[in-house]
Amino acid sequence: MHRHLELTAAPIPLGDLAASRVESSTSGAVITFLGVVRGSEAGQPIAALDYEAFEPMARHQFEKLFQTMETRWPSLESTRLVHRYGIVPAGQPSLWVEVTAPHRGDAFAACQWLIDEMKRVVPIWKRTVPTP
Amino acid sequence: MPIRVRIRYWSWFKDLTHTPESECTLPDGATVADVLHRVHQEHPRLAEARKSTLVAVGVEYQPPDHILHEGDEVSLFPPVQGG
Repeated sequence: MHRHLELTAAPIPLGDLAASRVESSTSGAVITFLGVVRGSEAGQPIAALDYEAFEPMARHQFEKLFQTMETRWPSLESTRLVHRYGIVPAGQPSLWVEVTAPHRGDAFAACQWLIDEMKRVVPIWKRTVPTP
Repeated sequence: MPIRVRIRYWSWFKDLTHTPESECTLPDGATVADVLHRVHQEHPRLAEARKSTLVAVGVEYQPPDHILHEGDEVSLFPPVQGG
């Protein structure tokens, strides 16, 4: 399985990522997911979320998740993930995930699993930045 | 022979300890549980969060009975919130 992992303080380059997808004659399913910062938290408006990452451990834990995906869904052809850290304004994506596979069942299931597990084991935290 | 370990605090745990990291000296054979005991004595507010505290040594999660070694880096943090 092709893997790509990026933790970045810069805005996620959605156009570049879409353009850089490795085309394959066997990939019948390309699932992409965007996690976007909402404009409110617990009913209160917010300006942004400030993400903190324990980067070496986050990278290690992501790689372990990718390894498990390869075992659990051997048909997966590619998994690419970009997560931002630092301040991400409301309305902007903080997470981008792309999973490709021959068929949609594995691609959907693996993408859902990856995001669920990320929220359980990858050391990234967020704090709300209130509106001025 | 005593060992020295570095302790790092993440997310709002830093607010409770007022520092991003500290060091402590422990007896040979000390475990993650011994570090937690020491930290909770020094920072009682962190003890209040003990049930939700996650512990890593280096870049791996470790249980309370994990034995530490000289120079280990122990990270303490609240539940993760990526995405």
